[in-house]
Amino acid sequence: MHFIEVEHLNKSFTVRKKREKGRFLREKSIIHALQDVSFHVDEGELIGYIGPNGAGKSTSVKILSGILTPDSGRASVGGLTPWTDRKTHVQHIGVVFGQRMQLWWDVPIIDSYRLLKDIYKVQKGAFENRLEELTDALDLKNLLATPLRLMSLGQRMRAELCGSLLHSPRLLFLDEPTIGLDAVSKLKLREFLLKENREKGTTVLLTTHDMEDIAALCQRVMVLGHGKKLYDGQLPELLSRYDTQRTIHVRYDAPPDLSSLPESCTLQKDGDNFIITYEPARIPTSDMLSLLQKAGAMQEMTAQSQNVDLLIARMYREMDL
Amino acid sequence: MRKYFSTFLMRWKMETQYRGAALGGIICQMVFGLILISVYRALYMGNPQSMPLSAIVTYVWLQQAFFRMLLSSDNDLMDKIRTGGIAYEMCRPVSLYGYYYARIMAMKLMGSLLRAVPMLVLASLLPEGWGIGAPASVPALLLALMGLALGLFCMCALENITMGITMRTIDFKGFQALLNLLMTTFSGNILPLTLFPDAWQRVVRLLPYAQLLDAPIRLYTGETPLHQAGQVFLIQGIWLCIFVGIGLYLWKRNTRKMIVQGG
Repeated sequence: MHFIEVEHLNKSFTVRKKREKGRFLREKSIIHALQDVSFHVDEGELIGYIGPNGAGKSTSVKILSGILTPDSGRASVGGLTPWTDRKTHVQHIGVVFGQRMQLWWDVPIIDSYRLLKDIYKVQKGAFENRLEELTDALDLKNLLATPLRLMSLGQRMRAELCGSLLHSPRLLFLDEPTIGLDAVSKLKLREFLLKENREKGTTVLLTTHDMEDIAALCQRVMVLGHGKKLYDGQLPELLSRYDTQRTIHVRYDAPPDLSSLPESCTLQKDGDNFIITYEPARIPTSDMLSLLQKAGAMQEMTAQSQNVDLLIARMYREMDL
Repeated sequence: MRKYFSTFLMRWKMETQYRGAALGGIICQMVFGLILISVYRALYMGNPQSMPLSAIVTYVWLQQAFFRMLLSSDNDLMDKIRTGGIAYEMCRPVSLYGYYYARIMAMKLMGSLLRAVPMLVLASLLPEGWGIGAPASVPALLLALMGLALGLFCMCALENITMGITMRTIDFKGFQALLNLLMTTFSGNILPLTLFPDAWQRVVRLLPYAQLLDAPIRLYTGETPLHQAGQVFLIQGIWLCIFVGIGLYLWKRNTRKMIVQGG
């Protein structure tokens, strides 16, 4: 028995289009947001959920958090079905949606927190301790009397996160929690999430487009595209499949003779810079370097592996997303 | 129950932040009241009606003072319905119906108290024939307050039905415009129901719109004698049950069929 079990989940939406001229009825199209998606998650895991926009990530999070009812399929979280046992189920989960604020907009956040305490029936002592701990870790002490609307985006996100963890949920859903945050806030948030996961054993399901979030936080990733699960496993393994190219930037003293470069590599010219992309599997890096040296006197050279975002973009392309 | 009460208190507290709006409301409602009274005074000069003028004046002031109970909606909720944010409230272990019922109740109650108390004081300072009259008796006042409370429960339940329908239509304007028209007409806000033809009154007084203000005002002025108060409360209670029933059903259906696309 796994903590989260999802089996053959399907969900589709009907989208009505604008009525075309001369037609009486509007055309409808059906979007399959989830098609036969299955996966398991054990307690204490920190999982990254990636995929391009419209892949069905948010839909699955909404189903697992009890908001949406799927068309068919089975899901259980800690033995409960989210959409039928909604009220009991949500008592044990925390949700942060980067795009939506859940705390009350116009009142000091401490008031929102006190209301949450009553809503989740948290005991007074436990609440005070947890609040102390969270406001410490999230650097919110001085902001408790400030309404959400007067906060910066980073502060709001931290305040939301605090609100979602006050009742010590066993499972935390994060939907793009670092969207729009600056570097310092992002790093802090990641550090906090790792700590929360390690110390409290909170299971975290993270949806994001920020690959650095995933790389920093998750061992396991799931890739979703067109509503189907395309990959489920370790991140490095996934990347190594697509991480086949290396790029070298070189600048020469005099115009070089690069005609000896094999055809399997690509050559681009950017001002005085030459950008050579090749696959180490086909031309070993040492051969490549000696070829480049023979072409002329090098002034400067840098070698780069591919950026994770590019890899993901390539992966999406090859998976036809 | 505690969570709904806390929600109520929080919304109540929030309402006190909008004192500027309350002041604006007071001025607006005072002006409205004075205009309406001028109109009725002119009418009475030419053609006196069966109701004494002082009763009409009192009726107008009470209607104006509690106007916010009649027409006010939870803007936050309407925003959330429009943007889909309402769905995210389902991540809380509460009944959405109860949660928003508590909110609208706090909003209508606190919002109208903030306005009504200063307005009624001002209206009682006005000269004879312009100002509000005293209640028929102390028991009449107490029964009127009870009627007002029950009426408020009815109105909040009605508001939740409107919101339940708004969840399906997404935009609230059309439906609410229709509802507001019915509301201002049949609540006695524009024309006191006591001035409607007798035959009309027999029907109109039974309508839900009359329950919030018309019914308690009649208790206040003594037009409804004390021994008939039970009958008034019964009608209010029946509407309350019907409205809560319809509202709960609508919200339950809506939460099952909720669709949120994107993000």
